[in-house]
Amino acid sequence: MLFLNQLINGLHIGSIYALIALGYTMVYGIVKLINFAHGDIIMVGAYVSLLLITNSGLPYYLAIPITMVFCAVLGVLIERLAYKPLRSAPRISALITAIGVSMFLQNLAQLIFSATPKPYPSTVISTRSLSLGGLTVNLLTLVTLGVSIVLMFGLSAFVRFTKTGKAMRAVSEDMGASQLMGINVNNTISITFAIGSALAAIGAVLYCMAYPLVSPTMGSLPGLKAFIAAVFGGIGILPGAMIGGFVMGIAESLTKSYISSQMSDAVVYGILIIMLLVKPTGLLGKRASEKV
Amino acid sequence: MKKTRLLSMFIAVMMVLLITSSAMAETIVIGGAGPLTGGAAQYGISVEQGAQLYIDQINAELAASGSDTRFELIFEDNGGDDTEAQNVYYRLTESKGAVAFLGDVLSSNCKVVAECANEDGIPMVTASSTSYEITTDHPTVFRTCFLDPFQGVVMANYAKSKGYTKVAILYGNDDDYSIGLADSFEEQCKKNGMEVTAKESGSFSDMDFSAQLTKIASTNPEVVFLPFYGEQASMILSRAASIGMDVTFLGGDGISNIVDFMTDKKLLTKVVYCDHFDANSETEIVKKFKADFKAKYGTDVTLSFSATAYDAALVICQAILRAGSTDKAAIVEQIKAGTFDGVTSTITFDDHNDPIKSAFIMTFDESGNKTFIELLGNE
Repeated sequence: MLFLNQLINGLHIGSIYALIALGYTMVYGIVKLINFAHGDIIMVGAYVSLLLITNSGLPYYLAIPITMVFCAVLGVLIERLAYKPLRSAPRISALITAIGVSMFLQNLAQLIFSATPKPYPSTVISTRSLSLGGLTVNLLTLVTLGVSIVLMFGLSAFVRFTKTGKAMRAVSEDMGASQLMGINVNNTISITFAIGSALAAIGAVLYCMAYPLVSPTMGSLPGLKAFIAAVFGGIGILPGAMIGGFVMGIAESLTKSYISSQMSDAVVYGILIIMLLVKPTGLLGKRASEKV
Repeated sequence: MKKTRLLSMFIAVMMVLLITSSAMAETIVIGGAGPLTGGAAQYGISVEQGAQLYIDQINAELAASGSDTRFELIFEDNGGDDTEAQNVYYRLTESKGAVAFLGDVLSSNCKVVAECANEDGIPMVTASSTSYEITTDHPTVFRTCFLDPFQGVVMANYAKSKGYTKVAILYGNDDDYSIGLADSFEEQCKKNGMEVTAKESGSFSDMDFSAQLTKIASTNPEVVFLPFYGEQASMILSRAASIGMDVTFLGGDGISNIVDFMTDKKLLTKVVYCDHFDANSETEIVKKFKADFKAKYGTDVTLSFSATAYDAALVICQAILRAGSTDKAAIVEQIKAGTFDGVTSTITFDDHNDPIKSAFIMTFDESGNKTFIELLGNE
């Protein structure tokens, strides 16, 4: 029973990692950039939704879409202002810019909201739990799991079947060639950033419902874990990010419970190292030969 | 004519300079440091506010009695960083002329600075560092708050007095304060013949304690001891509620600010903790302290460290006045031998330079107001 409970704990946090990891993986897939500011989009999403819910008194079903739009616009803005001018520069320049954007967002939040963490309002779903024969499952866990799985399949379908999705795949395959084929590369990249950031906004709300404290640095830890999840599953591959997130969450939860809570990070990073040694492209990654 | 005017102006300027410089000699500088920015900023700010309040009051008293002596508190930010704490200490004592030091705020910073102060013979009084070793072998270092081990012992005795027999502990394994309280609580519980069903830990930076709580819940304890600060404890309480845990939570002074981080204040009725100070006390000195604090800062006293800091400033200033000089050894002697009427209690110091006082056992009502239960010593 304890094992099942721990598994559920792992699935809960794992599905949040997975949602965030999708943003990392999409952006990497299309512009080959590890967007370190992605974790801080979570933080911005958390603050925006907090303000909407507590200060403006909006209900969740209105606050969440507005937060998503805000984060999507912010994601696109960051891409246009910080990353686009560096698209033809060496990859390391864009990477360092991403770290800079991350620091900028953190310090801006600290300036506006101060470093003191703010409590996030609790909801009905985070306090209600279902009992299934000795097994108590929190409603929030089920909602989180459900939302992330639905979004994941929705996103896969979007990328596979829509015109924009096709354009995204084409740009990630070869940016120059797709431009020659008449695809608007700039718009496609913007859409990718917008979707990734909107997913981070949902991740932020779900994360705050479970861990109801909002602070300027709150995004870095889930951001880092989600990044590892993306690399584990094979960066650039959507189902890989999802599987990576779940593996990370479950590994963390089981280590804390059966080995030692001090070891949980060591085990998680250990799994990543072993994966990279055995299969450098990640769990679902395909080996691509470098074109010369 | 022109010459005499110039001369008289010159003399006037000189006189002004003379007067101000002689007044400067009567200003006694007290250094202070703590985190005013960063994650622990609220602790530093509450200490600074409490100390500054006393400095203002003593200066007003001195002015009223016609004395020229004035105190000045220079309180600087160390960001909670050990190296910066040491830098600030040297800057204040060596270039700003501080004769005594009020601080540091965090135990880890305090350990570093206590070593320096002891070497220099500077009298140092911390208002908030509860770690045992701070005053060990440091004869010039004092504190106005009680200690980590003391809090663990008091809370274990409280649990026993309420008839609990099965306890569990969840603590932060990367924080001295948390480890210190957890260990002394565990030891005293065993002495009291209580069963410790689980002792789990997690990292402070990791906000996810679900796995540990699930494990603790499976051992069915009656109380869970949480030696955390308000931030982490609020997170733990809401996670515990969401997995359906229904137990009493005990804590140390660190969770006295938990109410700032809780949205569901009803959960707080399950929390019992020990504090340095009871803000609802009806004694004259506490009522005056609260009123003055509100008048100066426009807010209520949220952290009891404001009260212990007020007392720390009081101990330093009174000792200097009683010594009648700013000689370091004389000040230390006066602190050691003196009795001080502070807002937290009447303070005298024991052989280990710790204040001899009892802990206020507190809980919260449904809207998050602190409520006093009883006074407990370590006997």
